[in-house]
Amino acid sequence: MATDQDTARAVIAEFLQRADKGAEGWGDETGLWGDGLGLDSLEAAELSAMLEDEFGSDPFSAGSDLPERVGDIVAFYAAVTTE
Amino acid sequence: MILLLQGAAADAPDRTAVVTPEGSATYGELLRDAQHIAAGLRRRGITRFALVEADAAWVIRLLAGAALAGAEPCQYQADTAGHELIEQARALGHSVVVTRRRDLDGSLDAVHPEDLAPGRAGEPEVASGPQPVTIRTTGTTGLPKAARHDWRVLARTVAGMRPRPEQRWLLAYGPHQFAGIQVLLHVVASQATLVAPFPRQPRDGLDALVADGVTCVSATPTFWRFLLAEARSRSVALPRLEQVTLGGEASPAELLEELRAAFPDARVSQVYASTEFGSITSVNDGLPGIAVGALFSESNPTSNVRVEDGELWVRGGGGMLGYAGEPDGGDSRAAIGEWRPTGDLVEIIGGRVLFRGRTSEVINVGGVKVHPLPVEERISALGSVALARVFGRPSALTGAIVAVDIVPAGGAGTADVQQIRREVQAAVADLPRAWHPRSVTLVDTIETRGGKTVRGVEA
Repeated sequence: MATDQDTARAVIAEFLQRADKGAEGWGDETGLWGDGLGLDSLEAAELSAMLEDEFGSDPFSAGSDLPERVGDIVAFYAAVTTE
Repeated sequence: MILLLQGAAADAPDRTAVVTPEGSATYGELLRDAQHIAAGLRRRGITRFALVEADAAWVIRLLAGAALAGAEPCQYQADTAGHELIEQARALGHSVVVTRRRDLDGSLDAVHPEDLAPGRAGEPEVASGPQPVTIRTTGTTGLPKAARHDWRVLARTVAGMRPRPEQRWLLAYGPHQFAGIQVLLHVVASQATLVAPFPRQPRDGLDALVADGVTCVSATPTFWRFLLAEARSRSVALPRLEQVTLGGEASPAELLEELRAAFPDARVSQVYASTEFGSITSVNDGLPGIAVGALFSESNPTSNVRVEDGELWVRGGGGMLGYAGEPDGGDSRAAIGEWRPTGDLVEIIGGRVLFRGRTSEVINVGGVKVHPLPVEERISALGSVALARVFGRPSALTGAIVAVDIVPAGGAGTADVQQIRREVQAAVADLPRAWHPRSVTLVDTIETRGGKTVRGVEA
């Protein structure tokens, strides 16, 4: 049975495919910005909307520091699940 | 209204004026009923009232009766929930409501229209002075306001109209809307017949086109899109139309082409009017927007339309007396000849003034101003898309992103969402990145208000 973290990774994979950023070669340690996935603000806003559609909340809109790595997004849903 | 009705009843008392689900009425019958209602309003001392009525024949009787008595009616959308209606009526200071609904009594002083019209009334004289009527805006871009008009000024746009008894006009707007009032005035002035289904959804309009011999239709581009989509999905053979009129929103080129193909014999007109400013101009060349040559200039000094800083400005003498709650001739009333901004954003391309949306619909994406209409037009033109609505979706990162709701041509249930996303991406590829929809949702239907698509940034 898929966990929320698995679902979050699936959403990220779908986003990367949509954004033509490749669906492979990334993991929880991959950075979201700069040399990592290289997201700009529009792409991050799109990923934020996709995550919100899936879960009803997302780490980009949570009011705390922006996630820096893929793992921060995954961890956000782990935290939500266990809260 | 009453003077037009008197004229039609004198010329053609037995002609069918209106056809509704409740039956039909002739011009002679409507005038007689209006006279009874005027006598009833005077007898009860009603000078100002809320009007909540779905049936167009009753609406005409009551509007004309009020004009005859010099009373000021204000229509509310007839299918609004009771508690909302009461709140809206109180906000405009209406304590009396004329209605056949039973759920408004107690909170408001409800008067049944038939109670206004018992017995003989004779032929009361038309009240001297203004014949006021209050018309609420649709509120697609904010809270509805209410504009006070004078019937005598509103009727100027139909002055001198020749009788067209063969015409049968569909009432696609609510009679409480400014455009609906324009259709009522046009029909009575031309002594034609009004076909008024209720509800007034596009599918009801389509049924009326086929079953009731409608020859002329005035509706919003959104209504037309829905009607054509409904006709396609039901494989309805569309009848011949004589007149196709669009108003209330921008008319994209692809929709105009679709309408020309669907109704090849029809004259296609686009009207530019607003609840506050009245009727301003119309375009009959079948092309989107307004010809640059029709703008105000030294060589065209009588034009009532000009462009300033990308916004359409208008002037006219057919505008309102003022907003409800402020004195006649207050600041909001444009003096005759005075230019006022409309809130409609435009761009001049290829000799045409093209509408880009409302100032209130602009989506601010990280500081980039995005106009929803060019995005919506590209997506609506896709074969896989029946209807589309582009709007702003709040984003913590960029303030807003561009979002689109899509009704797929074959329905949301069986559509390939990934394929449609790819088509959307390709359709907007020529636009700046901030304009690209970042949120694409397939839906079964698109919400409208007053027959118009609701855009702007959603809360």
